[in-house]
Amino acid sequence: MESIAVQNLSFRYPDAPEPTLRDVSFRVEAGDFVVLIGETGSGKSTLMRLLKRELAPLGERSGEISLSGTPIEELRDADACRVGYVAQRPEQQIVTDKVWHELAFALENMGLPQASIRRRVAEMASYFGIADWFERDTHSLSGGQKQLLNLASVMVAQPGLLLLDEPASQLDPIAAGDFLNTVKKLNREMGLTVLLIEHRLEEALPMADRVLVLESGALTLDLPPEAACERLRGHPALIDAMPGAVRLFHAAGARGRCPVTVREGRRFLRERYKNDIRALDASSAPRPEARALEFRSAYFRYGREQADVLRGLDLDVRAGEIFCLLGPNGSGKSTALKLAAGLARPYSGEVRVFGRRVRDYKGQSLYRECVSMLPQDAQTVFLKSTVRDELREAGAELSALPYPLAHLMDRHPYDLSGGEQQLVALAKALATKPKLLLLDEPTKGIDPHAKRKVLEVLRALRDDGVAILIVTHDVEFAARCADRCALIFRGEIASSDAPERFFDENSFYTTAANRICRGWYDGVATVEDAAELCRRNGGET
Amino acid sequence: MISLREANPFAAFLWLMLAAGIAMFCLNPVLLALSLAGSALYLAVRNPLAARRALPLYLALFALSALINPLFAHNGATPLFVLNHNPVTLEALFYGMAMGGMIASSLCWFRSFQEIMTSDKLLYVFGSALPKLTLILSIALRYIPLLRDQAKRVRDAQRALGLFREENLIDRLRGEARVFSVLVTWALENGIITADSMAARGYGTGRRTRYALFRFRGRDAALCMICLALASVAIAAAASGALRCDFYPRFRLNGGGALGAVGYACYALLAFAPGILEWEENLRWRALRSRI
Amino acid sequence: MKLLVIRSARLRRALGIAIPFALIPAAVLWFALGPGRGHFALSSMLVALMALVLFSCGFERRKTGARRLILVAVMTALSVAGRFVFSAIPAFKPITAMVVITAIHIGPEAGFLTGALSALISNFYFGQGPWTPFQMLSWGLLGLFAGLLSRPLKRSRLLLSLYGVFAGAAYSLVMDVWTVVWYNGALDPALYAAALAAALPYTAVYAVSNVIFLNLLGRPFGEKLDRVKIKYGV
Repeated sequence: MESIAVQNLSFRYPDAPEPTLRDVSFRVEAGDFVVLIGETGSGKSTLMRLLKRELAPLGERSGEISLSGTPIEELRDADACRVGYVAQRPEQQIVTDKVWHELAFALENMGLPQASIRRRVAEMASYFGIADWFERDTHSLSGGQKQLLNLASVMVAQPGLLLLDEPASQLDPIAAGDFLNTVKKLNREMGLTVLLIEHRLEEALPMADRVLVLESGALTLDLPPEAACERLRGHPALIDAMPGAVRLFHAAGARGRCPVTVREGRRFLRERYKNDIRALDASSAPRPEARALEFRSAYFRYGREQADVLRGLDLDVRAGEIFCLLGPNGSGKSTALKLAAGLARPYSGEVRVFGRRVRDYKGQSLYRECVSMLPQDAQTVFLKSTVRDELREAGAELSALPYPLAHLMDRHPYDLSGGEQQLVALAKALATKPKLLLLDEPTKGIDPHAKRKVLEVLRALRDDGVAILIVTHDVEFAARCADRCALIFRGEIASSDAPERFFDENSFYTTAANRICRGWYDGVATVEDAAELCRRNGGET
Repeated sequence: MISLREANPFAAFLWLMLAAGIAMFCLNPVLLALSLAGSALYLAVRNPLAARRALPLYLALFALSALINPLFAHNGATPLFVLNHNPVTLEALFYGMAMGGMIASSLCWFRSFQEIMTSDKLLYVFGSALPKLTLILSIALRYIPLLRDQAKRVRDAQRALGLFREENLIDRLRGEARVFSVLVTWALENGIITADSMAARGYGTGRRTRYALFRFRGRDAALCMICLALASVAIAAAASGALRCDFYPRFRLNGGGALGAVGYACYALLAFAPGILEWEENLRWRALRSRI
Repeated sequence: MKLLVIRSARLRRALGIAIPFALIPAAVLWFALGPGRGHFALSSMLVALMALVLFSCGFERRKTGARRLILVAVMTALSVAGRFVFSAIPAFKPITAMVVITAIHIGPEAGFLTGALSALISNFYFGQGPWTPFQMLSWGLLGLFAGLLSRPLKRSRLLLSLYGVFAGAAYSLVMDVWTVVWYNGALDPALYAAALAAALPYTAVYAVSNVIFLNLLGRPFGEKLDRVKIKYGV
């Protein structure tokens, strides 16, 4: 398996005033699992692409990169497949129309004869459990299957080093977990060297042997996870991306050995803090009265012959409230959102917006200062070549945006980071000054900084009396922003409550902070709650 | 033997193309009748439902063609009657019928072609000759359903932002142009991810080989040989003039002698074999099932 | 169709020279004056196929980077997908406009490929037939010419609209030649006129929709393509 050695690497993009990477040096030994973290724009992706010669960006480079002792400039063309690379979007990384062809693609490029392609493809399909969908169209796969296929079609070329640039960021939590576990399995069973960039570190960090931290292009930490996490004090932006236990450790201002997993977090809490005060005073502000959106036993299905997606959904969202709808894939969350936005109609029951049935809104009146929806993929919104034109065509007043975007105005929407795209799309959705805002997975694939920004914007809107319905897989985000959470399962609401109670009563569908505190403190949903309880109880030794 | 559907796509392609091609380019009533019967039999055995729907249509086309030609072509020695000062001739009617047979039978062959030659099979057939083009085709074929779905998402997104109006046709056209425009940006900008993914997997580093699910077995070779042998006899007979048929000025079908008879026989085999092979396979399966 | 297994690069090069300078003239002579006289359908089919093989060989011979390949594939997919996007509005299909825009901004070869492949893929959905090679060739050539005329077409909206009308008419003219030759074995003027007249409404709608699409999509899509060209570095 391959090892990497990077010596005094600096890199500057053409026309950029500042270098993106400055004097970076590190080694990754063969068989290591290394996580690379840093804020958006810190140069992580650039560093990773420089390690893969075929994808190296153009620019001024100095310093040396070598793969198992050979400088990468001296590698032969045929060595391209020694380094595997999987990036964010599962959909676009697939090249061909059939699963089997996708698996064979790298081997065809290497010029292997039929017989060996046949053998390797068969082997890889069996190892990854792809045999069942071997002859299917790649298009018919789910997001998680697509990303697994991308991984398999890289692995089939038997690389010794795997570079992963946020591979799980577009996947739902279950698929993301499966993907990362598969990577870990490859690392453990094959001795594959792995370098991973990820924003959601709850699962990835405990797998790592080492953590590299990049800050504005410079490598500032290179340590095992526990040690690295301990040293993050004073870097709130980086702590935001960390697992719950690490966040709790820093939020409580603890010293010493930093817990990384939930298990370690539980031990840490019980060893260090008393639990005389078991719960915070429940904020007992009553729910607002005015109903913005109501579902009254709504039934919906996509076709006559198909099964019901919504089965008597009852739900109400009040003005001045953030309502988070959680639930597994296919439970009907996104469909509920579609019905609320007037994109589909229930075949029985009704959906009312501000007391009026959705279907009674004629023409565009539903979307005029009333309802607006931010779709899951921000890129479905972009039409123009600058952010300014984008906002202008939606009718937004550029001088009175709900949050500053001036620094992005002249950029092309597709040149922005995922988080920035989301904020621009949100500004576009807010241009009509909606009183009911619908959001579909607003935190999918965005970094913690952008997440925090979205959170602030949503809170401000809520305080202005806007009703907000969010559909999400992100329990951490729901716990932080929601006034009310509901779990939807098989098209109906399984439970609905204020977040403290909602997460306290779930045992699996809950936040890391809640899992850590379970049995020690009650009604904890967020790390901030937990830290507050720790401080009040005291007992740091 | 095996049916064309189960055979290697190369053999199936060769067989269908030769069966359709010979009839298409030889205006001989006997060949055309054989071709029409053979293709109809094949479609009927292969997909009875499609045959029931398509065959009446082809028959109507045949009739239409037979009737139209005499209205335009007035040569021929046997006038039937006079219409608008122009003679309508028996020869022109025959010629129209031959043309109708040709059109109906080739449509019928291509209908079956469509059934069994799915896109992956066609890519396989042309893959060895045109590797780069077939790769582009494969990528494009993968993109089309993706774009179709994305278009739906974009339309929903634009509608829910109140930016997609559909009150009248002009609004609708503008709205769809808007959706298409978003789609174009999306596809072009993200295409670079696909290109990078190709590069990362070593595309362009050397000579590509080709992997295919289909194998070329002995029976496929046998199919190809038989098909080529039958076709070359039929073509030889046609080229020698033994199958010659004149429509004007007077309809005359060359007797053709022994070579002609052999030519007809070979073509008959070529045209009927696909249907018979398919039928035989159906029967075999029925027998197997009753034994299970 | 293209039933040649051209494995060796040398053979491809040889074909690239032989087809335009020897095979096509030979075929034309053989069918025009020689023993094949009268087999117009067969001869036109063979000439169309050879033209396609010629072009494919030229393309296969060169090395094409992944990004250029993707660009052509994406434009092809988009022009076919356009049919589905605009399916709500009858007779409005943006394929020709997309082919022309691609050709103007990426080049004649990309134009030809996008045109020919769009025709082929469309027929996967709407039915393959003996007309497939002719459709491929006519759309391909419309792309090729637009690529060759890219400078004036980029500069003037009027010329672009005229090209749209020309494309609509030319497509109909060529396809009707094929229809008539196929039906009649020869190009009978009366029959050809009748076929053209029957197709006139379609041709008109087609030409009009081309003009509308080229004017509606030409500039914005051109900008998008130009940006992507820089981004891709092609």
